[in-house]
Amino acid sequence: MKYCDEYRDPQIAQAIAGRIANATTRPWVLMEVCGGQTHTLMRYGIGDLLPDSIELVHGPGCPVCVTPLELIDQAIRLAAIPGVTLASFGDMLRVPGSSTDLFDVRAGGADVRVVYSPLDALKIARDNPERQVVFFAVGFETTAPANAMAVWQAHHEGIANFSMLVSHVLVPPAMRLILQSPSNRVQGFIGPGHVCSIMGFGEYHDIAREFGVPIVIGGFEPLDLLEAISMLVAQLEEGRAEVENQYSRSVEYDGSGGGLVKSKKAAWCCVMSMPRMTRSAALAWSRWKCGNRPNASVRWCSRAKRSQLTVPHSANDAHP
Amino acid sequence: MCLAVPGRVLSIAGEDPAFRSGWIDFCGVRKTVNLAFTPEVRAGDFVLVHVGFAISRINREEAARTFAFLAHIGALAEEGITPGEASPGNWDDAA
Repeated sequence: MKYCDEYRDPQIAQAIAGRIANATTRPWVLMEVCGGQTHTLMRYGIGDLLPDSIELVHGPGCPVCVTPLELIDQAIRLAAIPGVTLASFGDMLRVPGSSTDLFDVRAGGADVRVVYSPLDALKIARDNPERQVVFFAVGFETTAPANAMAVWQAHHEGIANFSMLVSHVLVPPAMRLILQSPSNRVQGFIGPGHVCSIMGFGEYHDIAREFGVPIVIGGFEPLDLLEAISMLVAQLEEGRAEVENQYSRSVEYDGSGGGLVKSKKAAWCCVMSMPRMTRSAALAWSRWKCGNRPNASVRWCSRAKRSQLTVPHSANDAHP
Repeated sequence: MCLAVPGRVLSIAGEDPAFRSGWIDFCGVRKTVNLAFTPEVRAGDFVLVHVGFAISRINREEAARTFAFLAHIGALAEEGITPGEASPGNWDDAA
C-alpha cells in the first residue's frame, strides 16, 4: 500500500494546504471537471483543508448526469419493446427518466442488462441473434473510442441485431459553455487527467487563451487535487492563464514514447471519425425500425448538442 | 464506467489490430480486454483499462498505486472487479 499512502499522506496534505493558504490573497472560485475528482474531493473533505477564500464548484463531469432526459425516456421506451434487450453501464440504470427508470422497467419484465463494456453488449447480440440488442452508449472522450470500436466490430462481423442509442459529450465544449455564461463565476479549472490522456491538451490551450482562465490537468487522488489547486492559485495570484499538467506521471511513461503518441493518435482518430461512423452504421442498420413504431426508432446522434447541455446551477448561481 | 482500472497484460491474442485482445490480470481478477488503442502494448506491460479497452500504458508503480487507491475508495465493484477476489498490489503471483 506504500504507493497509495504516499498520495494520501496527511502531513504532505497539510503542507500543500499551508502553501495554498500562504499564496492566497483574495477569493478564487475553482471548478474540477471530472466526476472522479469530485468523488475524491468529497470523500477526503479536501474543501475543509482550504482557506475560506477558495471556493470549489463541482463541474459537469459525469456523463450519466448530463445525458438528456429525452434520451433516457427513449431508452426506457426501447427496453419495454418485446424482443429488445437493452444494455448499459450500471450507473445509467439508476437515472430517472420522466416517469420511471431502467431498473423499474427491468423489474416489470423487460430485458435490461448491466455491462462493463460496449463489447459485452456486442457479445450479447452475437450470442442472441433472435434478440435486438441496443446499447445505451453514454460517455465523454474516454468512452467514445470504445463505443466506436464496438460499432466497427459489429459492422465488420455483420452483426445486424446490434444498435446503439448514443449520447456522447465532449469536455471542452462544456467548459466553454460555462465560461460563456454571463453569470459565470469560475476562474480556474482542474482539467480531467484521463480525458487528456486520450485527447491531449490542445483544446485546453485554446480555452485558456480565449477566456484568460488557468487550467491545470489534475489526477484523482487527494494530493493530486491539492497540488492542482495549489498550481491554479499560483497562476491566478500571478495573473497567469496557462495550461499546466499536474498529472504528468500518467502520460510521461517513457518506455517508448512513440508508441504512446501513436496510440493516443489512434484513439483520437477514432473519436473524430465517430459522427461519420455512426451515420453510416445507422444507414446500414436502418432496416430495423423497432417494430416500425416511429417514436420508438433508435435515434442516432454523434454527441449531445451544446444546447442540450445544462450548466449546473452551482456553476452560475450563488453557491451555498 | 467513469474510471480506468490498472491491470497487467498476461498474454495477447489476435492478429487483426481492431480485435487484438489481452488477457489482463487485475490483481487476481482476470478479464479479456481489447488492445486496439494500445498497439505498443506487450505481455508483461501494465495498462489502464476503461470500459473493456486499454487506453494507455503505465508503469508498474503507477499501476499498483492507482489500483490500491481504487480499492480503498471502494470503486472497483462498479467497474466489474469483485473486491473480495482482488488483492491490491499483488501482481507477482499473476505473472
